[in-house]
Amino acid sequence: MDYQKHMELTPIKRFLGLTKHPYFGFVVIGLFLALGQVLGQFGVIGTSLVRSFGYTSIYMIVGLGFALLLGYAGLASLGTAGFVGLGTYIMGYLAKTHDLPLILVMMVGIIIAILVGLIVGFISLRIEGMYLAIVTLGLSEIFNEVFKNAYSITNGTNGLSIFGVGASREIAYYTAIGLLILMMIVTFNVMKSPTGRAMLAMKNSDSAAQAMGVSILKYRLLAFIFATVYAVIAGVLYINYAKFTIPTTWSLAYSLNILAAVIVGGSSTIFGIFLGTFLIFGLNLGILQQFEFFATNGAYSVIFNGALIIIVIMFYPGGLSKLVLTLSHKIKKAFKKYKEKWLAYKYGED
Amino acid sequence: MFNPNNFFTFHIILIVLTLISYFVLTRLLIKDRNYLRAHKDKIMNLHLIGAFFLMTLWMFISMTPQIFIQILLNNVVNVAVLALATTGIVLIFKTSITTNFAQGMIATVGAFMSARIITSLGDPNNLDIGVFLLAILGGVITSFIIGLLVDVFILRKSKYITSIGKQMITMGLVLVLMGAMPLFFNVINSPIPRLDFDIARFNFLGMALTMSMHAIYTLIITVFVLALLFIALNFTKWGLGVRATASNEIVASMMGVNTKMITAMSWAIAGGLGAIAAILYTPGQGIVSVGLMVPIQVNGFMASILGGFSTFTGPLIGAIMIPWLSALFSYYNSLWQGVIVYTLILLIVLVKPLGLFGKKIAKKV
Repeated sequence: MDYQKHMELTPIKRFLGLTKHPYFGFVVIGLFLALGQVLGQFGVIGTSLVRSFGYTSIYMIVGLGFALLLGYAGLASLGTAGFVGLGTYIMGYLAKTHDLPLILVMMVGIIIAILVGLIVGFISLRIEGMYLAIVTLGLSEIFNEVFKNAYSITNGTNGLSIFGVGASREIAYYTAIGLLILMMIVTFNVMKSPTGRAMLAMKNSDSAAQAMGVSILKYRLLAFIFATVYAVIAGVLYINYAKFTIPTTWSLAYSLNILAAVIVGGSSTIFGIFLGTFLIFGLNLGILQQFEFFATNGAYSVIFNGALIIIVIMFYPGGLSKLVLTLSHKIKKAFKKYKEKWLAYKYGED
Repeated sequence: MFNPNNFFTFHIILIVLTLISYFVLTRLLIKDRNYLRAHKDKIMNLHLIGAFFLMTLWMFISMTPQIFIQILLNNVVNVAVLALATTGIVLIFKTSITTNFAQGMIATVGAFMSARIITSLGDPNNLDIGVFLLAILGGVITSFIIGLLVDVFILRKSKYITSIGKQMITMGLVLVLMGAMPLFFNVINSPIPRLDFDIARFNFLGMALTMSMHAIYTLIITVFVLALLFIALNFTKWGLGVRATASNEIVASMMGVNTKMITAMSWAIAGGLGAIAAILYTPGQGIVSVGLMVPIQVNGFMASILGGFSTFTGPLIGAIMIPWLSALFSYYNSLWQGVIVYTLILLIVLVKPLGLFGKKIAKKV
């Protein structure tokens, strides 16, 4: 747009133009989540709800990396929990012993994550499909055993706590939200870039992608590096917010929940991942617990969550984002139809 | 007499040597020689078996034979349970092409059911064998029916979903069952006693060995059930149907195989196998708990990829190897045995991506 023309626009029109920008939605999500903490501080909403927002937005970062891996590169992994746990312990150890600032810890974490991602990526060159999922599950189990047994670093099965070290909970919350927005923008750009397209080609057919000149080696390694880096960053943010980590959190169930979040939401769009993570992690903590029925009978909320996953996958394999898309499409179509009818009624058949 | 450091150095050297010799074999020796290339798989298998044999031999020598055999005997229950659970997983993988995460939970429901029968019909500390058999039967039938219902109402309706989607459905089932179990059963106190509290003592080649009677009964039940299953798979119409469905479901249904029935029965039988495993495993843990079968299930997956999903005997051998190896390693180092065994499995799978006994299926482009 021409600068002169831009200045002539009224502020409202300029704002409306802004809403069409692809990053606008991400910022809105971020502001909405940040509002949660603000409201929590003024006592409008309960602390547990704010906590659930915080954890869910941290888990969403894991989901974003995982969506690149599963939805774009087509590689199934069950090792997510191990990688996130790795992040928490890197931060826990470094913050406790050396009192490093968050940004330095994150740098160290990213370097380690890249190394781990390279290793897993090389494994993925030889092993595919279900086998890869189980091999990464084994890798995650190895990580978990290390968390349990390397007592001098991880404090074993008692869990590692860093209370009183680093930022306060509020600051940690805002940091997590800020990084979430950043990660959403990065992920969006990766999805729309040649890298994302190459990964999609690889997902649909290895051989066809290779024939088109897509290097399988490069993009598989890249996909796993993305997933591990996102997971480690989320792990660092997790312990920065929760101030505590314990090996039992980083078990198979966590990896499965992330997988479920990405599948239920739909892995192709960021909005879908947002929906999925909040459905899997946030629904129980945030909404169901507010009802008296679910709060007193915890078992029912677990059943509800499980049934929801089954129903969504059975009837909407593309995920919730696709469902929303189809619904909005249908509504638009119906709206158009009735508008035409209204016009026909108003001005006659011609 | 025994030096742990020495032991671990030997193993590390052995693994490194195996990897180097594998590399030399594939890249330098076999590559340009046609007569060797024709037998590549056999040579690789011999190579792996040789390395494994050396490892076991070293263990056998460095512990005394008595301790070695005693450790093997102590872990018979774990081997039997894992063998049953793994067979269930493979059966479902073959017919539905998905890894069933709910296998353990379905089995646990069966174990809860039999614990309820035991507590309501008799005294857990002094149990009549008839009640026990009834309890086992009740547990197995419960899991059998749950497996059947899962297939008929959920998996049958979602035939055209990707295998990862099916995986997620089974994970949703895990959540549903996990939530439902405390509503129907007593999760705090559901004991299943041992089949027999006695311990058998016997002499073997001058070595005094002991084995619990529970382990002996477990072994007998497992061998009987698995033998029955393998006979059914190889010699009955159902077994033929399973094998046909496993190789290609669409073609099998065209050829008149009732694939719906085959898949449903596979889910049901897998549930029953899991229930037997859970019931036999519980006495070692004390009571039935919701997370009872989770470690068994993870090991079952590892055993399946170690042996390769393409055969039934391969995963079984994997299931025998994993508990025994981790028990043997835990004699030297009771903290890191899990890491060692999982790393070994990962290395083996990296060398042979389709498992020890996997067959390569040519992929159409």
